[in-house]
Amino acid sequence: MTPPLQTTQATDGRAPSWVSARQRGQEAPKGSIPSWFYPVAATGTVVGLWWALTAVGIWSELILPSPSQVWHAFVQSVTEHDGRPGLSGYYLWEHLWASLWRIVRGVAWALVVGAPLGLALGLWRPFERFAGPIVSFLRSLPPLGYFSLLIIWFGIDDTSKVWLLFLAAFAPISLSVAAGVASTRIERINASLVLGANNAQVVRYVVLPSVVPDLITGLRVAVGFAWTTIVAAETSNGIPGIGGLAWATKKELRSDVAILCVIVIGITAVLLDYGIRQFEKKYAGWYGRW
Amino acid sequence: MTQQHDEGTVERHLGRAIAVHDVTHEYISDAGPVVALEGINVEIPGGEFTVLLGPSGCGKSTLLELIAGLRIPTSGILTIGDARIVGPSRHRGLVFQQSSSLLPWLSVEDNVALGLRINGMPKDERKKRIAEELERVHLSDFAQHRVTELSGGMQQRCQIARALAVDPEVLLLDEPFGALDALTRESLQAEIRRIWQETGRTFVFVTHSVEEAVLLGSRVLVMSPRPGRVIHDQELPFAHAREPITEVRADPTFVNQCHELRAMIGAH
Ligand SMILES: Nc1ncnc2c1ncn2[C@@H]1O[C@H](COP(=O)(O)OP(=O)(O)OP(=O)(O)O)[C@@H](O)[C@H]1O
Ligand SMILES: [Mg+2]
Repeated sequence: MTPPLQTTQATDGRAPSWVSARQRGQEAPKGSIPSWFYPVAATGTVVGLWWALTAVGIWSELILPSPSQVWHAFVQSVTEHDGRPGLSGYYLWEHLWASLWRIVRGVAWALVVGAPLGLALGLWRPFERFAGPIVSFLRSLPPLGYFSLLIIWFGIDDTSKVWLLFLAAFAPISLSVAAGVASTRIERINASLVLGANNAQVVRYVVLPSVVPDLITGLRVAVGFAWTTIVAAETSNGIPGIGGLAWATKKELRSDVAILCVIVIGITAVLLDYGIRQFEKKYAGWYGRW
Repeated sequence: MTQQHDEGTVERHLGRAIAVHDVTHEYISDAGPVVALEGINVEIPGGEFTVLLGPSGCGKSTLLELIAGLRIPTSGILTIGDARIVGPSRHRGLVFQQSSSLLPWLSVEDNVALGLRINGMPKDERKKRIAEELERVHLSDFAQHRVTELSGGMQQRCQIARALAVDPEVLLLDEPFGALDALTRESLQAEIRRIWQETGRTFVFVTHSVEEAVLLGSRVLVMSPRPGRVIHDQELPFAHAREPITEVRADPTFVNQCHELRAMIGAH
């Protein structure tokens, strides 16, 4: 006799490793390697390699400073020395916060404008035909291409930088919201219609919640894009600012500070993305499970 | 999206008849037009358990969506009582073929509450109503669960509860047990028969199982594909039966009835 066919989904022991325990409705297996192990191991490996490379001394310290030099730069950046605070006149956290605050404002405006715009694009075909090409056009421009225009219009202070970030961030947000509206499952819309929903109720009860995962995806893309943009934007009048600090090092050949900035930007960006993903788990945890 | 339309006051407990006059429905697809239904004329009396029986692709879902008002026929008209069906209405509930029609971001009770919210029922009353409906489909213990955490049969019961919560005049069910194993299917058949007997509503139930049709229907409409047509219309005796489903199944008249219907379909 042939064994009975396995008709249940392969979700338990034999599930592929990329199917998370949560998706399978299980606890993470006990006694397995804790989740913090991997990032710690990865960091250790990179720093170890870096240290080994500098210890061998193939390159001069100017080209590849050692971990301890970068650490020294870090200490300088958070303390007062020679009567001046930190580096380039500001402490490290002031630089970082200046950049973050620009990003937060730019991306917040992008959310406020981009999400409703995306909804309108997705819900209203004629508007999509009209405004869709404009948004696509904006998205395809490298932001720094129009930065000088913004400086001419808004001056060299923060305003032009926030505008730049806003313009960089709003297109990915509105396009992914529009795509989310378009991919709302028709049977869910129909389900609300046969329960008596009017158009506004369909949007409120079905379309808006359906779009949340796409909104968050758009937000992640936008924040990533904003980081790449801000660092470049801070090359002009960007102090305080972590990108401005990184750029200023070239005059004094402070490669240790440049590396410090890269590390700080990287860690901050990763933490920010992690935060958004936690938010996603909470509010869009259903996504991908159905 | 179609707006809601007033179809006159619903005479509760009488159940108006649904009539389909000369309905043809064509889908436009990239590969050219597909005639899903052609020249359909049927009368579905109020309060009956009408089964639409036919093979895959014969237009059963299309006909159900037309009755629900989710589609407008290419030609012909549909009426309920003396009102024309021109859009969806909460008086005609639909249990979808795909249980993905449930809202995965909501819990079971919030899914059942959806129609009540939409129709502005106050919270206290809503709570009571949800509890009743969950009780009816035996899902009370899962009220707080996400619908993604339910089994296939539980999801279909949740859909049924959601549709019944707004107390529709007509309940349309599109192969609600199609994807279920035989045992779960049998227990749900018993439940749906009980619910119909309890509520006395008009049920239109789609299936491609001859057995299921004979077991549940007070009447069966047999459909054939390409183009979708109604080829047979017959009354059935077992819908009002009170004995357990398993006993009905073992009944020689039941077995005979299934045979006859199957032979009838084969002859076409
Ligand atoms: N959205 C659509 N676009 C184009 N053609 C469609 C569409 N929906 C259904 N059809 C076609 O209409 C015909 C009837 O489809 P329908 O879904 O009503 O069949 P069905 O009887 O419900 O089948 P099943 O038992 O498989 O659910 C099929 O031939 C199908 O190809
Ligand atoms: Mg179907």
